[in-house]
Amino acid sequence: MLLAATSAAEPTYVPVEGGALRSVLPPAPQQQETRVAPFRLRRTAVTNRDFLAFVIRHPEWRRGTVAALFADGGYLRHWAGPLTLGAEADAEQPVTQVSWFAARAYCAEEERARLPTWSEWEYVAAASESARDARQDPAWRQRILDWYAVPGDRPLARVGGQPANFYGIQDLHGAIWEWVEDFNSLLVSADNREQGDPDRTRFCGSGALSMEQKENYAVLMRIALLSSLQAAYTTRNLGFRCARGDAEPGR
Amino acid sequence: MSTYRPQESSRPAASGPAIPQQPRGGRGVSFARALLVVALGGALTACQSGGRPGSPGSDTGGSAKGDFGPPQGAPVRAVLTSPPQVPPPTGRTHPAKVIVELEVREVEKDISEGVKYTFWTFGGTVPGSFIRVRQGDTVEFHLKNHPSNKMPHNIDLHGVTGPGGGAASSFTAPGHESQFTFKALNEGIYVYHCATAPVGMHVGNGMYGLILVEPPRGRPPVDREYYLMQGDFYTVGKYRQRGHQPFDMQKAIDENPTYVLFNGAESALVGDNALKARVGETVRLFVGDGGPNLVSSFHVIGEIFDRVQWEGGTRYQENVQTTLIPAGGAAIVEFHLEVPGSYVIVDHSLFRAFNKGALAILKVEGPENKAVYSGKEVDSAYLGDKVASLASVEAARAAAAAGTLTKEQQIKAGETYFNGSCALCHQVTGEGLPNVFPPLAKSDFLMADHQRAIGIVLNGLSGPVTVNGAEFNSVMPPMSQLNDDEIANVLTFAMNSWGNEAGAVSAEEVAAVRAQTKRPEGAAR
Amino acid sequence: MRRAAGWLLVALVAARAAAGTPSEPPGDSLYRLSVPLVDQAGRAAALDLHRGRPTIVSLFYASCPNVCPLLVAAIQRIDAALADAERARTRVLLVSLDPQRDTPAALEQTAARLGVDRSRWTLARAAETDVRRLAAALGVQYRKLPDGEFNHSTVLALLDRDGRIVARSSVLGRLDEEFVERLRHEAR
Repeated sequence: MLLAATSAAEPTYVPVEGGALRSVLPPAPQQQETRVAPFRLRRTAVTNRDFLAFVIRHPEWRRGTVAALFADGGYLRHWAGPLTLGAEADAEQPVTQVSWFAARAYCAEEERARLPTWSEWEYVAAASESARDARQDPAWRQRILDWYAVPGDRPLARVGGQPANFYGIQDLHGAIWEWVEDFNSLLVSADNREQGDPDRTRFCGSGALSMEQKENYAVLMRIALLSSLQAAYTTRNLGFRCARGDAEPGR
Repeated sequence: MSTYRPQESSRPAASGPAIPQQPRGGRGVSFARALLVVALGGALTACQSGGRPGSPGSDTGGSAKGDFGPPQGAPVRAVLTSPPQVPPPTGRTHPAKVIVELEVREVEKDISEGVKYTFWTFGGTVPGSFIRVRQGDTVEFHLKNHPSNKMPHNIDLHGVTGPGGGAASSFTAPGHESQFTFKALNEGIYVYHCATAPVGMHVGNGMYGLILVEPPRGRPPVDREYYLMQGDFYTVGKYRQRGHQPFDMQKAIDENPTYVLFNGAESALVGDNALKARVGETVRLFVGDGGPNLVSSFHVIGEIFDRVQWEGGTRYQENVQTTLIPAGGAAIVEFHLEVPGSYVIVDHSLFRAFNKGALAILKVEGPENKAVYSGKEVDSAYLGDKVASLASVEAARAAAAAGTLTKEQQIKAGETYFNGSCALCHQVTGEGLPNVFPPLAKSDFLMADHQRAIGIVLNGLSGPVTVNGAEFNSVMPPMSQLNDDEIANVLTFAMNSWGNEAGAVSAEEVAAVRAQTKRPEGAAR
Repeated sequence: MRRAAGWLLVALVAARAAAGTPSEPPGDSLYRLSVPLVDQAGRAAALDLHRGRPTIVSLFYASCPNVCPLLVAAIQRIDAALADAERARTRVLLVSLDPQRDTPAALEQTAARLGVDRSRWTLARAAETDVRRLAAALGVQYRKLPDGEFNHSTVLALLDRDGRIVARSSVLGRLDEEFVERLRHEAR
């Protein structure tokens, strides 16, 4: 198992041309478009196999060893042991029950990469197999909503199970939630009905963000999930993939 | 917020909530105990008259008079019940600290027979667990989001005084737990619901329930208390289309529900699950409307509500036939039972009741009272397909899947559907009603053309026809919610009963006719 | 006696820090994060520079027009509510969300303008990516706006001597009594 885990193939990073994104979370009321610089994104999510190789090399990220600041009690709990996947964690399934800190450390240490920003993720996830921006396509939306209707306790699909999208990237929808670098920049209120009356003392600057494209539930629900998280949290359906390129994290 | 794992198990799927659950429709020991406590609670409040009259000058003072000081005594753990059961009265005469632990679970269940839907629930049921506290109580609320859930959730309790009703304080990621505390200042019956974006979808998936804030001296005693909530549901497939059905956002935005239901399933409160009571008893229903879109014209066929606390407020109206319950609102209705039988509970926007599932049954047992009502019951007309044994249907389905379906199995399964869907007009004897509904027994019209018969079941029939020499001119609605197997079975039954003799109709024949038929938008296919 | 022990611990920690071999902080300590800082005097420092003292930590930026002054005022209000001895043992660390504009000179200017006691207050900047980690660990949400301003949630975190978060406050405009109570406890 250890050998198999450490001899995984080099992951594929797919180049993505930059461009303008009309995000569901516009940068400012007077500016609806976000610039996305060219970057490269991992074709598939990081797997249990990949992550096992990482924790073998980095004892400080093993279950039972990891500092409580960096991961909650659910960290890798579906693995049979700190260095054993076991029956509940197929090597080719995306790794889940990982915190933002752990995901970030993996990308940096293991692949000389980083987590994608929300804008980068949203940009590539707007695509269907044939269109760069399929967000107005009812069939595309319904396919995403269909995944929300699959109970969360079902086994996760192995990575690479879905056809590549316009950019050649797989499984962005219908597989798992994914961490992004700036998950804590999605300043939506915990009670989204407050949006008409942002509490100005809670958020400096222009208050809580208002979500645009309110009919685009498929994407809004990702933002709802990400905004419910703290950096040490782990959940059963939350994994990640890494990105490379110059996009400045935090923008 | 803290990490949350269900107790006693590391396997999320197998673990149970720490909330006492009663099986739906089960009224065993625990319900008897609940009744006992109702009776004891009654002793405490026996000196009270039957509620507040709706006259001016008897104001309760609202929230300004609802704070009875700090909680007294040891903290109390709230008893939560699954619908349709209601927890016993608190029986307390002082404000207490009440701990409520509510677990959010995303669960797949039957919304209709053979139709699966992923519900998002408070406590594993639709509506969510019933919460009962006393005015002035300090409620320490724990919201737990089960680790196997996909979504973040929160709760807005309409019984909370404070912005958002607890929503922002309770926003909780999967596998975590939130806590907040509020004082229940206003008595009444209040809806609670999830308020996580997109709110309509969370509510549309079943995330609502009721919290009862008892007045300081409790509610007047009654014999039975039940809990039901109406909700509208939006599936990609048509009404009763089988298999797993995902949520349909466009239908929800259009406010065009596929189902309108009491307690989250077509079978929730019918057949063995019907509500039960006895002649001579007084029944109190806590009725909520979760929405997300529709308001309810709540009605019990054959009963008059002696009292309705409309909108769940303090005052009551007497002698009400149908009461309006807003989406995100509730009412308390009470009535005394004089006559036994099955009482059908509906949303009196009637297509919701008979075509989308908004139908429940209250079965009342006891001696006949011919002086009050002599008539015959219509029970079977409404209940039909629900009470019929579905064993033969299951057997036919299994046999069809295995490729071993016999004509005899088809006839047995078809009889079930016939009695449920057809016998109301065509009669159990197949004789029909003279001049109104044509006979099927020894019917030349039926037996002459299989294709035509299939087409009529699928598409309905209106206009004049001649059957056995007699002319009929009425309307038969399309039965296209039945699938190919079911139509094949029901026709095979009709063509081999009451003296009719023919071969079997196959599902393939039905499928062929269905494929040639264009149906309007919104009709079952 | 306890106070003496406390001082001893402080001395030990300070000695270890000086020697470059601090003992490992607890697993849930903020000091598990390695975040190199530069303070208002241009000195390099580590995130745990106030280890051994109860410390109020928050994120701000110097050019912030409305909320950040309120945030500083809230900390000053807490400061003022403490007894002299408690205050002397309390430290404040404000880390900038805006490393590009908040140079040590800008931070020094801000500290002077706000009149804070620089023997106990540290205003510092860190690399952008480290700020994101620190914010994540503190549960602070923030976002840079196109005009150079920042949206951010206002959170004061109280760290115990070992860097564990023992209280949080988002109260602005009045004194957060619970937070002060906990701080007094930590500063004993």
